[in-house]
Amino acid sequence: MGRIALNKVKKVFGDVEVIPPLDLTIDDGEFVVFVGPSGCGKSTLLRMIAGLEDLTAGAIEIDDEDVTEVPPSKRGLAMVFQSYALYPHMTVRKNIAFPMRMAGIDEATQNAKIDAAAKSLNLTDYLDRKPGQLSGGQRQRVAIGRAIVREPAAFLFDEPLSNLDAALRVGMRLEIMELHKKLETTMIYVTHDQVEAMTMADKIVVLQAGVIEQVGSPLELYHTPRNKFVAGFIGSPKMNLIEGAEAEKHGAASIGIRPEHLTVSKSEGTWKGRVGVAEHLGSDTFIHVHDTGLMDMMTVRINGDIDARHGDTIYLSPQVDQIHRFDAQDLRIA
Amino acid sequence: MAIVAETTKFSKFAWPILAWGVALIFFFPIFWMVLTSFKTDADAVKPEFLLWFTPTLENYANMTDNYDYWRFATNSIITSVSATLLTLIVGVPCAYAMAFDPSRGTKDILMWMLSTKMLPAAAVLYPMIFLAKGLGIYDTHFLVIMVLCLINLPIVIWMLFTYFKDIPKDIIEAGKMDGLNTWGEVREILIPLAWGGIASTALLAFIFCWNEAYWTVRLTTIDAATLSKLIEGNRAPEGLFFGRLSAVSTAAVGPIVILGWFCQKQLVQGLTFGAVK
Amino acid sequence: MANRTIPRLLQTPAVLLLLVWMLVPLGMTLFFSFIRYVLNNLRRPEWTSPSIENWRGFGNYKFVWNQDGFWLAIQNSLLIVCSILFLTVILGVLIAVLVNRSFPGRGIVRVLLISPFFVMPAVNAVLWINMILDPVLGLQGIAVGGINEVIAGLRNAPLIGGFFSLWPELNPISFRATQTSAYAVIMMVTWQWTPFAVLIFMTSLQSEDQQQKEAAILDGAGRWSQFRFLTLPHLGRPIAIVVMIQAIFHLSLYAEIEIVSRGNGNKNLPYFIGELANNNIGAASATGIFAVILANIVAIFLLRMVGKTLME
Repeated sequence: MGRIALNKVKKVFGDVEVIPPLDLTIDDGEFVVFVGPSGCGKSTLLRMIAGLEDLTAGAIEIDDEDVTEVPPSKRGLAMVFQSYALYPHMTVRKNIAFPMRMAGIDEATQNAKIDAAAKSLNLTDYLDRKPGQLSGGQRQRVAIGRAIVREPAAFLFDEPLSNLDAALRVGMRLEIMELHKKLETTMIYVTHDQVEAMTMADKIVVLQAGVIEQVGSPLELYHTPRNKFVAGFIGSPKMNLIEGAEAEKHGAASIGIRPEHLTVSKSEGTWKGRVGVAEHLGSDTFIHVHDTGLMDMMTVRINGDIDARHGDTIYLSPQVDQIHRFDAQDLRIA
Repeated sequence: MAIVAETTKFSKFAWPILAWGVALIFFFPIFWMVLTSFKTDADAVKPEFLLWFTPTLENYANMTDNYDYWRFATNSIITSVSATLLTLIVGVPCAYAMAFDPSRGTKDILMWMLSTKMLPAAAVLYPMIFLAKGLGIYDTHFLVIMVLCLINLPIVIWMLFTYFKDIPKDIIEAGKMDGLNTWGEVREILIPLAWGGIASTALLAFIFCWNEAYWTVRLTTIDAATLSKLIEGNRAPEGLFFGRLSAVSTAAVGPIVILGWFCQKQLVQGLTFGAVK
Repeated sequence: MANRTIPRLLQTPAVLLLLVWMLVPLGMTLFFSFIRYVLNNLRRPEWTSPSIENWRGFGNYKFVWNQDGFWLAIQNSLLIVCSILFLTVILGVLIAVLVNRSFPGRGIVRVLLISPFFVMPAVNAVLWINMILDPVLGLQGIAVGGINEVIAGLRNAPLIGGFFSLWPELNPISFRATQTSAYAVIMMVTWQWTPFAVLIFMTSLQSEDQQQKEAAILDGAGRWSQFRFLTLPHLGRPIAIVVMIQAIFHLSLYAEIEIVSRGNGNKNLPYFIGELANNNIGAASATGIFAVILANIVAIFLLRMVGKTLME
């Protein structure tokens, strides 16, 4: 079981309120991602759930039990750190065995679990090495192995992939998702990368300055962002946000249109601009358009390739049903 | 490499010669002391025996008769070793708490500790003698150990603090998640990881204790007197005993100089409180 | 988790010990500095033990203030500390640059260079003042004697003899004399602490950004410009630290002064206090308070300068 509830949780550092009172419920077996720009309080929130950070006020419940004053090791949670936090003086085997040793589990059970974990994580050949002799991806797997053997109520991941290179990151992302499907344990995952959030989460929690901007499934966030911040943060390339006269035409203070919801023409369209840089990815092309008179630079995403050169004149037309409208308070107009 | 290319033939030869020359000049007084320790007292002051002489071990053999060397050396060992251990026992937990559980006052406490090192010893000389005599601990090992511990404590805490700070906080937190209590963190993580730092701190504290020459001289007479006191008491042999004085001096500094060779790297990080690595 | 008891508890012994160590003796010094307290006084036996009855107000301070010895001691303290700082920093930078290059035997050179730092101060002083600087029996005496002999021999030589007979006979310098004893102290302490400066500067030089240097070479910077505009600023922080640590140690120099000349000509503040403390405790304590004030001025200055870099 791993149902986690935060009730009016608040954190103050010195004079700064990092997290104003906040409520959140995470259901058993859910993969929840906390996402937001750096300094938004997502890591602090995770560390408060882990018990590594005190609460200024409020309460945390795990499976309906108040754990606010319970020390980290007694909460039944396992954490995977950004730096992996492996014990450098112990072999991989001893690292994985460590939480079980602390819990007083007998050695035969320990070994059985280590072997099982090592097998599923492809670490069998490395059990007698020290962390210093492993690659980044392998270290990450050891950290996950150390978490798995505890059979926790929930896994906490604190930006676990940000120290890996891009190729490894994609692979590890899949491994973690598969692990979740296999174990069906609650996982809370912190990242600043919205791609990770979109691909992995059952439920995304978007945070800004300690405040939850929106909670929802990845597609909910994509299709119906609750406000301008979420609209700009979720999706890549970023949504084009337009203010002023053009927005007023749609009865809004500002409107947003995602790059993939613009169609391009060389001869006619709603808006006219000049091609700046075109990024050819093969499958897609991103065109950065200047001098539209609407915003600094508008980004368009089109399938396949197009012959667009620097300085060419180009016409853009939004798909009208995909325009997001926001009011003066930056909130979505339904 | 442009830097290599610039090297001229001249500097290729002159540079090492100059460096070796400077090193030999600096080492010369120590060399001279060791050399003199193998001369008889009579030979030691004769110009004709400056470098060519018949070496003798008689100065070392007579060290006990001439100076009661072992009595002072024993005192030095007892007080330095005990003071080093005591300093570590008090300093490790303190530095640990400061490095991993810092509060808002931690920086100020550290600065204050360093500032106690700036308190001139002479200013509190008489009160210390007064207290020591009043408490009946003047000229005892206990007193010397306590004073050595206190004067080294700030530097030891600073050094340990800088070593502990290098241990990622994540690892300690992972330990917390895995079920370690405070003592467990120290035993399972801190000591194994910071072993090198703790050892070199201990070594340096030991060297400072061994070489201390203000309090050990002024707070002892004979029972707890250390090698510093012995050498200071023979400050002016009027040239008659260069040989034997060199021998006892060599015996007093030899072990420490050799210990020092092994910890020069750590010395830098330690003495600069981690600001230079 | 919510409690900070354990970390506090762990710091308590150390903080308490240092607090007692700082406050109790210093408090006593402060008290003694305001009373008449003289150990040997047959005429006024009531002054031989500390008591509030013997209150003297600022009398001890005035007494000390008007002593020539006090001002001489401050002057000597500053002379000795400043000279050592100056010499060790200059020599330290030069030698560090010298041994920072790789050359055959660099490891041994480093070991030889650092050795003086570990020599016990008492041995350092005894070694220098007797075996090296003694005007008759030390190396200095022997060297001067040797040179004089060679010159004397050359006077009788044909042709060049006339030239050498113009040379005066060299006189060895006594470093136990009033005029020179401070120099002896400066010399021996510089010998001991230059290695320390070298070690720290050398370590710092190794962390110097080589790419930055290469960029400077591409920009046309010569050897001197590189040293002046890259190396020296890079050494700023280590120099500040070397100055601070040495100031801490050298302001309380004692053994060297005692051994060289028993304070004759090189008496610094600690030594002056030590002498007073043989009898006039009141005056010794007042001087002690002056010393604390002086140390605090230096400390505030130094901690301001270095403290921030330490905390990064």
